[in-house]
Amino acid sequence: MMTRLTIQLLICSLIAGISLPPSFAQDRSAAQETLIRNATVLTVTRGTLTNADVLLRNGKIAAIGKNVKASANARVIDATGKFVLPGIVDCHSHSMLDTINESTLSVTSMARTSDVLNPHDIDLYRALAGGVTSLNLLHGSANAIGGLNTVVKIKFGRPAAEFIFPGAMPGIKFALGENPKRSNSQPQPGQTRRYPMTRMGVEETIRDAFTRARDYKKSWEEYRASASRSEKNLVAPRRDLQLEPLVEVLEGKRYVHAHCYRADEILMLINLANDFGFKIRTFQHTLEGYKVAREIAQHGAGASIFADNWAYKIEAYDAIPYNAAIMTRAGVIVSMNSDSDERARRLNIEAAKVMRYGDLSEEEALKLVTWNPAVQLGIQQRVGSLEVGKDADLAIWNGHPLSVYARVDTTFIDGEIFFDRQQDLARRPDLLKERAQLEAAEPNRPPPGGTSPQAPRRRRPTNADDDMWEGGVEQP
Amino acid sequence: MSRIALALIASVSLGALPPRSSQAQRSAVDTYAITNARIVTVSGPPIERGTVVIRDGLIAAVGTNVSAPADARLIDGNGLTVYPGLFDSNTSLGIPQPSPSPSPATTPGGGGFGGQRPQTAILTALNSSQPAGLQPEVLAEDFIKPGGEQIEAARQMGITTALSAPRQGIWIGQSALINLAGDTTQEMIVRSPVALHVGFTPLRSGVYPNSLMGVFAVLRQMMLDAGRFREVQQAYARSPRGMKRPDQDRALAALLPVLDGSLPVVMYADSEREINRALDLAEEFKLRAIIAGGVEAGKVAERLRTRNVPVLLSLNFSRRTTAAMPEADPEPLRVLRERVEAQKTAGQLAAARVKFAFQSGAMTNPADFYPNIARAIDNGLSREDALRALTTSAAEILGVNDRLGSIETGKIANLTVTRGELLTRNPTFAYVFIDGRPVDLKPAAATVPVAASSTSATGSWTLTVNTGSADLTMTLVLQQEANRLRGSIQGALGSGEISNASLDPGGDFRFTVPVTLEGQTTEATFTGKLAGNEMQGSVTFVGRAPGTFSGSRAQAAPALAENTVLSGTWLLKLLVGLKTFPGTLKLEQQDGVLSGLLQSPFGVTRLESGSLDDQGFRFQSRARIDGRVVEMTVEGSVSGEEIRGTVRSEIGFARFTGTRQKT
Repeated sequence: MMTRLTIQLLICSLIAGISLPPSFAQDRSAAQETLIRNATVLTVTRGTLTNADVLLRNGKIAAIGKNVKASANARVIDATGKFVLPGIVDCHSHSMLDTINESTLSVTSMARTSDVLNPHDIDLYRALAGGVTSLNLLHGSANAIGGLNTVVKIKFGRPAAEFIFPGAMPGIKFALGENPKRSNSQPQPGQTRRYPMTRMGVEETIRDAFTRARDYKKSWEEYRASASRSEKNLVAPRRDLQLEPLVEVLEGKRYVHAHCYRADEILMLINLANDFGFKIRTFQHTLEGYKVAREIAQHGAGASIFADNWAYKIEAYDAIPYNAAIMTRAGVIVSMNSDSDERARRLNIEAAKVMRYGDLSEEEALKLVTWNPAVQLGIQQRVGSLEVGKDADLAIWNGHPLSVYARVDTTFIDGEIFFDRQQDLARRPDLLKERAQLEAAEPNRPPPGGTSPQAPRRRRPTNADDDMWEGGVEQP
Repeated sequence: MSRIALALIASVSLGALPPRSSQAQRSAVDTYAITNARIVTVSGPPIERGTVVIRDGLIAAVGTNVSAPADARLIDGNGLTVYPGLFDSNTSLGIPQPSPSPSPATTPGGGGFGGQRPQTAILTALNSSQPAGLQPEVLAEDFIKPGGEQIEAARQMGITTALSAPRQGIWIGQSALINLAGDTTQEMIVRSPVALHVGFTPLRSGVYPNSLMGVFAVLRQMMLDAGRFREVQQAYARSPRGMKRPDQDRALAALLPVLDGSLPVVMYADSEREINRALDLAEEFKLRAIIAGGVEAGKVAERLRTRNVPVLLSLNFSRRTTAAMPEADPEPLRVLRERVEAQKTAGQLAAARVKFAFQSGAMTNPADFYPNIARAIDNGLSREDALRALTTSAAEILGVNDRLGSIETGKIANLTVTRGELLTRNPTFAYVFIDGRPVDLKPAAATVPVAASSTSATGSWTLTVNTGSADLTMTLVLQQEANRLRGSIQGALGSGEISNASLDPGGDFRFTVPVTLEGQTTEATFTGKLAGNEMQGSVTFVGRAPGTFSGSRAQAAPALAENTVLSGTWLLKLLVGLKTFPGTLKLEQQDGVLSGLLQSPFGVTRLESGSLDDQGFRFQSRARIDGRVVEMTVEGSVSGEEIRGTVRSEIGFARFTGTRQKT
């Protein structure tokens, strides 16, 4: 019993929020210089350097090469036998979001994920432990046009405002197929079924929204023209938070990340975008992307996909594990995403799978989780590869990251440590002690005389198995 | 609640007492003098031995050298301490609770629950341009009714003044500050409107907005629309000729004082991130923000201070409500920390010089009001700051410190007089004056309102919740104090503490609880009726189809007598969901070995190697149902010729009662 409890406590302390002892907080400050010595450095864009050093200074990568000199008070990490990889970028995540779908309307471009960030989401810490440093937080796929995304650096432990990726292109979520057309399929009493109910309707919904956005744009242009002529008693048009982001899409100032599965709807959206003169930045999931890889490449869109996750619903039957390789060969920029708090911890393995299916080179495979998603999010100037002058967002792995046996030792963002395996282990006894103290505190003691509730026969219902959950209400 | 019902409650609560002097003879006595009392003015140093004179509703004089006027009714203040009347800075006092609508077929013992509509506490305005819950033009003062047992209960706790706002909504409505005495609403109101209240809880009706993202989007859009509404109205006023007449819109018009900063916005936010989000929105639109709730306000204290944002701090400290369960996962460290940290918040705000006032808010148990202030004091809050949070700070935040909040000549004569110290876990109130008139205080023992019924919800209930697609089993532990309920759930819907719980004497109850359904966290509102050891009703989930539930109270099974004979054939009634099925249970007890056979419309199951103790019998068995093997547990107890128990499995849950077949 004691052992079991201890294990429970250990697990629990691991997954509970982490409060850092002061010494640790000082250790990880950005001002400190860090020299990672004698590592195998996977730069991703400039090849692999063996027995090389990486110097992090002022939040940036200050030097990469042999015999790099650091100042006397720099923190020196001996990485002999270890690997340094750029921080993994996850182009499709719902971690950190207190709510994922505003599922009432079919066009919810006024909803903003930035309004519902939870910087204490423990899944963020777990992603750090998988070497992930940046996330594209997307609205769910319930609506043909969903809400606005947020690109973040996982500065776990900091206020939400410090997570925001500086200068990342804003984006918006679209969704095609089953999710937007069958959402609210069980309406509450007194509610009518939501339009659209077919794939035709999904297309019409998006066309209608962009037609309105075009008119809206025009009304502002006319107003500005009148205002510049100093016309009297002018009243500006109503600001419409639903249409403003769509105008930004038309003007090329906002990326479209479109959830999709089937080849026909991918072509549909390309045609629609061409009609209105905007670009799709990424197709998300894109399970049948291999069928229309040339068209996707020609449009200039990227694809963010799973390695081998399919057949979880009818429209996901035609997926193949060669998808990433085929699209890559066709010239599509492909990334592997998680869409799941669980998968986010092992995106390196998603990349490794594509070496097995489709013979991508090691560098091409690594790009799937680093450089390519960075390009897809417009943040490749700062992250996605190890180059002097870029943000010091990287992880030290104890083995080659494309090996299932590799684990992350330390994860840096802007030169600061946000995950360190040794420090995590060292913290656990303190957390156990804290738990014991907290359990003894008055508000945590059960009221006297109460009966303890009956133990459930199963700890979890079979229909809520963790392994089945793909992150919130989102269907992958 | 109907006027008649209110009148009845009022007459019941007053019946046992002498008639209130204020009602019977308004003008007969309007001068009082409390002499030789300790006077805590709050605005200045305490007066160890002095006199307070009340005349015509106002404080006429206060000090050591004040003598009582000849016409004053004298109160010997020996051993008494006089405080300014205490504030409860966020309540819904005076606003009638929505009562469950009568179900179409309430026959004793069953049926009729399907017709019950989920209740909403959202108040609505007439001819609004906006849906319910998004109507900033709603005024609390239009709904506040004098009297009622909740106002009475608050006065018995020494509260003289309360901020009152509707209970629910996104734009909840505009609050009023009321004195808790008076025969009419108009007489009670000290100031209205005080602030526009904003809750961030999505609408429950499944329409936009049903998520927090949508809530923020709607709030932004409406404030932008209000700004444009003002522009258009101004343009039309300047020159109506040649301009299309703009629509009137009271909802948008109600936002204009908010946008120009003349009306503050009370934003409901408890956690650190909720508070930060609220402050972000306030800064975006330059609103004068007041945070209500503020459980983790201590973590945002620096931002609150620099932005000069006050807090209406909830005294509803969360605590573990159920005994620990050895099989359960340990509670996350975060939850344990939050409970402990909540009691430190008041002290942290005081240290950071953030202005705050105490509120009972959605307190599950009003009796915790003073004990929780004492806990805040134990956790670093000075007594002076605690007292200010009940008096002057509240008056300043709510904009009435020129007339309330301290004992000064000319201010409204709201006074709370205690025997002994106020800031203890159980203060004794000797007198409460509101607008210069004394309130009748009940003997200490009777200060907590008691539900006029023998209905008790306390206990551990086993519920089966039918969500339409599945039957889920959970345990509901309830503790009833008067007509308040507290408790928690545990089981297939996750675990959580209930809130907004109420139980009326007829057994109708409701509560809201966070649940986890198919991996998604949402909120469920249970509305139902309990009778004896059974309860049933309907449950609504935010953003999902509603369901039903039924359950029974776990009872201490009668101990099996030494010679209880289980052997025999038992005729069972199996209750599955809301339906009853017949069944039989044959039990055979031989040499301490128990075996049996359970027959029901669902099949025949052989029960072997049962265990037996003084609580009853128990079988662990396997049955083949619909081609799959299902683990099931049959438990029960026998008392003479009666049997009762449960059948549990991962695919369902049934309760049974029965009698022994006569041979």
